[in-house]
Amino acid sequence: MEEKRVSREEKLIIEVEQSLAVDTNLNDKRQMIEKLLREYKKNLKQLDKIIKMSDKQQKKLNIKNKLLEGLSTKLSCYLSPQIYDSIFSGRQDVTLKSSRKKLTIFFSDLVNFTQTTENLEPEILSDILNNYLDEMFTIALKYGATVDKFIGDAIMVFFGDPESKGEKEDALGCVSMAIEMRKRMETLAPIWMDNGLRQPFKVRMGIATGYATVGNFGSTHRMDYTIIGGQVNLANRLESNANPNNILISHETYSLVKDKIFCEKKDPIFLKGIPYPIPTYTVINFFDKIKQRDEINLIEENITLYIDKDNLKDNDKKEDIIHKLNIVIDELKALNENKK
Amino acid sequence: MENLYIMKTKSTPEINFDLSTHNHSIRGESYPENTFTFYDPIFQWIENYIETLEQQEVIFTIELIYFNSSSSKVLMDMFDIFDEASKEGKNITVNWIHDEEDEALQEYGEEFKEDLPHLTFIIKSKV
Repeated sequence: MEEKRVSREEKLIIEVEQSLAVDTNLNDKRQMIEKLLREYKKNLKQLDKIIKMSDKQQKKLNIKNKLLEGLSTKLSCYLSPQIYDSIFSGRQDVTLKSSRKKLTIFFSDLVNFTQTTENLEPEILSDILNNYLDEMFTIALKYGATVDKFIGDAIMVFFGDPESKGEKEDALGCVSMAIEMRKRMETLAPIWMDNGLRQPFKVRMGIATGYATVGNFGSTHRMDYTIIGGQVNLANRLESNANPNNILISHETYSLVKDKIFCEKKDPIFLKGIPYPIPTYTVINFFDKIKQRDEINLIEENITLYIDKDNLKDNDKKEDIIHKLNIVIDELKALNENKK
Repeated sequence: MENLYIMKTKSTPEINFDLSTHNHSIRGESYPENTFTFYDPIFQWIENYIETLEQQEVIFTIELIYFNSSSSKVLMDMFDIFDEASKEGKNITVNWIHDEEDEALQEYGEEFKEDLPHLTFIIKSKV
């Protein structure tokens, strides 16, 4: 049991109370009561002083808190919101520590950025670039991405740390984000053209899913919360191999999103140190979105056929597709005949 | 009467009262679970000690890094005793030591000093 706190004055009060209870003759207790009053007055004075000192310190603390609040708000702009939250809530240590996690990693880069913008004044260029990065950042946050860094016009983000919704949801979130970013570019292009951009920006995006090392890297004085590993390199290579305005993804990402997002198989790529080819897929769109568009698509259990009509203006292309389809039809017919 | 030595803990300061030199010190942090229980024997020692004093120079060095509100009440009580004793002619000095950059501790010292007209109360910064 916690011992009761008894001050000197309280002790005296108890003593006086006890004396008064057995003796009603106040004259005999005068000295004691006078002492009690003196102590009581002193106590009040001390209380006053403690309050004064405490108020003074509180005021100083408030000023310091406001200063720190302002500083941390400024600092937060230099960090991904998830990293900022996990550090400031105490969930994340600021030490050189790392761990292995399954992540979906995204890279994007603007095609021929330097050539596209060489006619622009630096002020306009930085306005357009900041506007582009801000728009992309807002979309990334909407999908819960951890924005790792901006490198000029390139963006690197990942899903799965510090928070993960599960590897499938993380991959789906990442590809959905990429689709929305690509779509947003279409609406931003006319605005930038009005500001002096000669031709619209085209973006290349690459996505890979797999284990990576995530944590603080650097020195104890200056560190970055980032990711390293083979999958990071793969995502970067996928990005550089993607066609303009295309999203190129790895096989593992494809496996996690293929139920909801239509992708086309593309040529495999080769990575330094990996002796076999790595399959790649280009993201078309969500299945339900494709069905609404003026496109030929047949997505059923045994067949996936997608033809973008916009790309068929050229008669040769049409002929080529008809020729290919005829070959498929003949092969199917032959299979059917064989069965009979 | 004997010297009084209490080892410091996480929440209580080191008490080192030395009768041979009359140089006494309280150093560390003070936020005991029960302030009055912790300081009661210290007050008893001080009251008995002051009874024995004549004209010798006595120094109490207080070097607290942190103390809570109930400890500041205890400190004021202690300084009142020293002030009363000084009024009666005893030669007591309190050295209030604070870190050079700790303005708050310096201000606490100044606040305490305000109400001690008889006691020699010196505020010193530790370099």
